[in-house]
Amino acid sequence: MARHSPVTGRYVTIEVDGMEYKVFYLHNGKGQPLICQHTAGCHNHQWRGLLEDEEITKNYNVIAYDLPRHGKSDPPHNYEWWTEEYKLTKEHYVNFIVALCDALELDDPIFMGSSFGGNVALQLALRKPDRFKAVIPVEAAHYAPGFFLDWWRHPHANAAQVCASGVWDLMAPQSPEMDRWLTWHYYTQGAEAFKGDLYFYSVDHDLREELRNIDGKKCPVVMMTGTYDYLTPPDATEDTARQIKYGVYIEMTDIGHFPMSENYPVFRVYLKEALRIIRERTGG
Amino acid sequence: MAQDIKSWASKFKSLSDSDPAIASMSKYFTCTYLWDMTDRKVIIEMHDGKVKHINTDPQPLDPYDFALRASAASWREFGQPVPRPMFHGIWAASFREDLKIEGNHLIMMQNLRNFTLQFELLRKCGVPV
Repeated sequence: MARHSPVTGRYVTIEVDGMEYKVFYLHNGKGQPLICQHTAGCHNHQWRGLLEDEEITKNYNVIAYDLPRHGKSDPPHNYEWWTEEYKLTKEHYVNFIVALCDALELDDPIFMGSSFGGNVALQLALRKPDRFKAVIPVEAAHYAPGFFLDWWRHPHANAAQVCASGVWDLMAPQSPEMDRWLTWHYYTQGAEAFKGDLYFYSVDHDLREELRNIDGKKCPVVMMTGTYDYLTPPDATEDTARQIKYGVYIEMTDIGHFPMSENYPVFRVYLKEALRIIRERTGG
Repeated sequence: MAQDIKSWASKFKSLSDSDPAIASMSKYFTCTYLWDMTDRKVIIEMHDGKVKHINTDPQPLDPYDFALRASAASWREFGQPVPRPMFHGIWAASFREDLKIEGNHLIMMQNLRNFTLQFELLRKCGVPV
């Protein structure tokens, strides 16, 4: 008998800022929508543990999409994207996420993203607090400079391996070897988009003067960071959460920058706590 | 008490040459690098994935492609079986601790996969400082 997973995949075509995107997403579960953004230069397999978590999917409709130019989501089908350097902007990123949620008719979704996905979660809390029940920025901070590097897309090096091995020690040594190598493997596949994603992450995303405008009572912000994350270390995330009205910070011990992919059993303990806090603050 | 550098070099070579992950992509893993541990320096010469030579007493004009430089204390942290946060890799330590990566960065990037794995062998053999 075939060992089928309960997770299924589907495409939805949306238009964002004039770009036509055929977006691939994986989903499983029922109930409260929980829409998940993978990390820069990667794809939705990072959420493989969460998608098959029976306890969480009993009450949460988990949706993990591939951002355009990642995984099974193509670049735009109506634009000569190969004629210009890809640079993700905060406006386009936010507009994409809202357009996708609208197309999927998600009612009061919780948005969770990691790394650049965590940073855009902060942008959503600032710009679109009415569209989301809450946001869970994982491995995020209000400002994360220093990672928009030419090395990610250098024609004289094996970009696939530079991207994958360049993020290797964003992961904790305690995380299982198989899961770290799977994460490495995913990163070999996203080399063309990684640098452009990091334009948003390290250059365009800067909320140093705007954190005071995020209201965690209107849209709860529950931030989580692993102790081995050197890009947005725990004190950076804590500093961000402290400046957000009613912001929450959860420190995750002995885990790194890709917690949901490098060590899901550890990550889920903290995720369940974040979801509990959100239920408490939003009345279920 | 720090390990004798020659016996450390022998241990490191043995670990590297027998590592299956390095061996799985050994062809063209050819470069020469310096590890400056402040109290000790070594130049490791790689050729097609094997340690060709470890120079345990580098002289001023001995060549290398790129270098990692940090305090002896940091190198001891790198050599722990489970390093503490920010000592668990060259990117972490260069962003958050005192590790400097110098020289021809392109050559390091071209060999990054295997160089990263080699650096982690220090968790098994320790460091000679």
